[in-house]
Amino acid sequence: MSEELKVIVFGIANEEYGIEVDKVRTIERMMPITRVPKTPSFIKGVINLRGVVVPVLNLSGRFSLAETEVTEHTRIIVVAVNEMEVGFIVDSANDVIDIDRDIIDTPPEIVGGIQAKYLDGIAKIGDDRLLIMLNLSEVLNKSEIVQLEQLEV
Amino acid sequence: MDMNAYLSMFIDESNDHLQALNDNLMRLESAPEDISIVQDIFRSAHTLKGMSATMGFEDLASLTHEMENVLDLVRNDKLKMDSFIFDTLFKGLDALESMVEDVIQGGTGKADVTHIVKDLSNIVKGDYKNGSADTASAAATTNTASDNDKGGLLDQYQSSVLKQSIESGLQVFYIKVTLTESCVLKAARSYMVFDVLESTGEVIKSEPAVEDLEQEKFDRSFTVFTISSVSPEELTTKISSISEIETVEVLPLDEESLASLSSASTQVAVAVEAPTPSAKTNEKAEDKSVGEQKKAPAKNGAPVANRTIRVDIDRLDALMNLFSEMLIDRVRLEQLSSEIKRQDLIDTVEHMARVSSDLQNIVLKLRMVPVDTVFNRFPRMVRDLAKSLDKKIELIVTGAETELDRTVIDEIGDPLVHLLRNSVDHGIETISERIAAGKSETGTVNLRAFHSGNHVFIEVEEDGKGINSKKVLEKAISKGVVKPEDADKLSIDEINNLIFSAGFSTADVISDISGRGVGLDVVRTKITSLGGNVTVTSVEGKGTKFSVQLPLTLSIISAMLIKLGDEKYAIPLSSIVETAIIQRSSILAVHGNPMIKFRNAVIPLISLSKLFDSPSYNEEHEEEHEIIVIHKGDKWAAIVIDEFIGQSEIVLKTLGKYLTNISGISGATILGDGQVALIVDPNALIK
Repeated sequence: MSEELKVIVFGIANEEYGIEVDKVRTIERMMPITRVPKTPSFIKGVINLRGVVVPVLNLSGRFSLAETEVTEHTRIIVVAVNEMEVGFIVDSANDVIDIDRDIIDTPPEIVGGIQAKYLDGIAKIGDDRLLIMLNLSEVLNKSEIVQLEQLEV
Repeated sequence: MDMNAYLSMFIDESNDHLQALNDNLMRLESAPEDISIVQDIFRSAHTLKGMSATMGFEDLASLTHEMENVLDLVRNDKLKMDSFIFDTLFKGLDALESMVEDVIQGGTGKADVTHIVKDLSNIVKGDYKNGSADTASAAATTNTASDNDKGGLLDQYQSSVLKQSIESGLQVFYIKVTLTESCVLKAARSYMVFDVLESTGEVIKSEPAVEDLEQEKFDRSFTVFTISSVSPEELTTKISSISEIETVEVLPLDEESLASLSSASTQVAVAVEAPTPSAKTNEKAEDKSVGEQKKAPAKNGAPVANRTIRVDIDRLDALMNLFSEMLIDRVRLEQLSSEIKRQDLIDTVEHMARVSSDLQNIVLKLRMVPVDTVFNRFPRMVRDLAKSLDKKIELIVTGAETELDRTVIDEIGDPLVHLLRNSVDHGIETISERIAAGKSETGTVNLRAFHSGNHVFIEVEEDGKGINSKKVLEKAISKGVVKPEDADKLSIDEINNLIFSAGFSTADVISDISGRGVGLDVVRTKITSLGGNVTVTSVEGKGTKFSVQLPLTLSIISAMLIKLGDEKYAIPLSSIVETAIIQRSSILAVHGNPMIKFRNAVIPLISLSKLFDSPSYNEEHEEEHEIIVIHKGDKWAAIVIDEFIGQSEIVLKTLGKYLTNISGISGATILGDGQVALIVDPNALIK
């Protein structure tokens, strides 16, 4: 018996990404974000999530992709990983699907400019859908932020 | 029964009792004749014993038991307190504390206390000092005291009830009932006996306790103390008429026999000429009944009955979060109601606003704890220190009721211990030195706490020898803390404050108590990390005063809200010296750095918009600048801002674990409109 995985599907640019549902705290509409100075540009700032201050990243910025415009479909997905709560700005989030762990393949070295270490794998759904599974602890790796900061300075 | 469920309750309560024991022993030491204090101590010790035994911490229970024995003698005027007894009791208390600590750490609360136990039992036996006048009487009661978990057959409360009844002319009886050997329904029979007794009077006490009788936890006989309106003969007949009763003995009691009853159980046999209840089987039940019945009066006797409950601090935090959520909704509602303009809606919203501001006060107060929770251990500590150093020291505590946020309270204990130790060890002179200096033998250490503005001050002041600033300066130079050429520029106070520098200790001899040179800098680091400050003032020969300034709370601060374009920031009021408006033309340039003149000094001017890369504000196009002068210690700087919004109480929030160490920002807060504003860290702005 292979394991079923519940995954939240969200879109950035024209690609579809997935995060395991149990890591997602909540999905919010776009809300006012307070800019935090002296941070890498992909950190958009902080939001007030029901009394808790939560930092928000732009995922496309994080992967050094071009940032897209905010539309009415833009969402903030708040995830909790390693005792950190962080929000991701994504272009849309509208699906929860079950996938089989078996259909997740190890990612090729370079996928659309994103380094392979940010990815857990790629799931092929149906004939023409590719779902990129994110490795959240790598995405939120802080030591890398420090390096980025040093590069920017 | 799952003991773990009760463990935290046990820990909390035993800490309370230990603290009460400590306080009362200290009180007793200053007023050794006051028997009422002994009663208080006895009650705490007894409750503690009962609790530990119930939880299965045998060592704890047995040590408390020994201490109780000593106290019992004192309470009954059979033993006079002296310094040896005090020391032993304090030692016992320390052992108890470490055992409870062990329990808290998940241990079994076991410890080797044979030494203390021996000392205690020696005191009970009275042979810790030879030829003492007390020996005889103390020894006489030894057996009683040491084998008596029973204590007296009657505790104080019961005997006083009986005594009063006798005085008011009622008859008091001691009744012993023995059931027949073939009796099947022992519980039922005993119930019938009680029924008879209660129809004619009142049962004061039974042995075994009623609960045990009901569960047939007794052999064949039980004894009862009762107040009755009928004659002994009538009582005997009435009880004997119940079937399956073998014998009934009814003994009337007078005041004299009562007095001996309440003091010791062995004397009971003599006084009432009745055989002691078959000890073996009853012993266990007796323990319990005495324990329970003593607990009850102990509670009655504590006038400050529990008006508090314990709440997990996380729940308070959750409450606070929910409350700030509600505040935000309130602001929205106010906005909506002013748009809709319906009078009844406006009234309701206004009422809600008033209620919620009251609620805010309460929620904030919930987190406040009196500093007494930290101070209460100090009298004992100073006493022990003074003893070990052979000094006479009086500690005067004032303002213990001053309240501080729980988080500050938790952190402030160690630094204060350090300051006090320092005062006692280095500050106060030895007795001979004091006399030579023309001071009174007893040194005084003042521990004060008081509110001032948005801060709480805690001061430790002694009338000791003061700081030798020459020595401090020499040392500072030799350690490289101060450059020799700068030495002349320093004021006395500045020199004295050098003792907070790292790796600094002026003590010539490293003592057990303080002087390892890692002291005061740690104190300062800790207090600064709490957002506070510590300073010292001293007059040589007269004394030294340490002054600790602490924020009232770590979760709510007063701040000045400002605008930079469309961004809002908060600056803690505690760092603000002044706000002002300056002309652009008055800005000076020193080495290319902008400076301004302020109160006869030239201070740096910092552009917040440049520092924070503000996207929507740049002051360079303005002719007038709003500035805020901030300080860090005695360094000043001015920051240029766009616009003042006003002063406000803000709730501190962290930026979360993902965003840490952002320079210039110490946290965030949520404003009335639900938006997040960042809190500027002025300390990071002044280099």
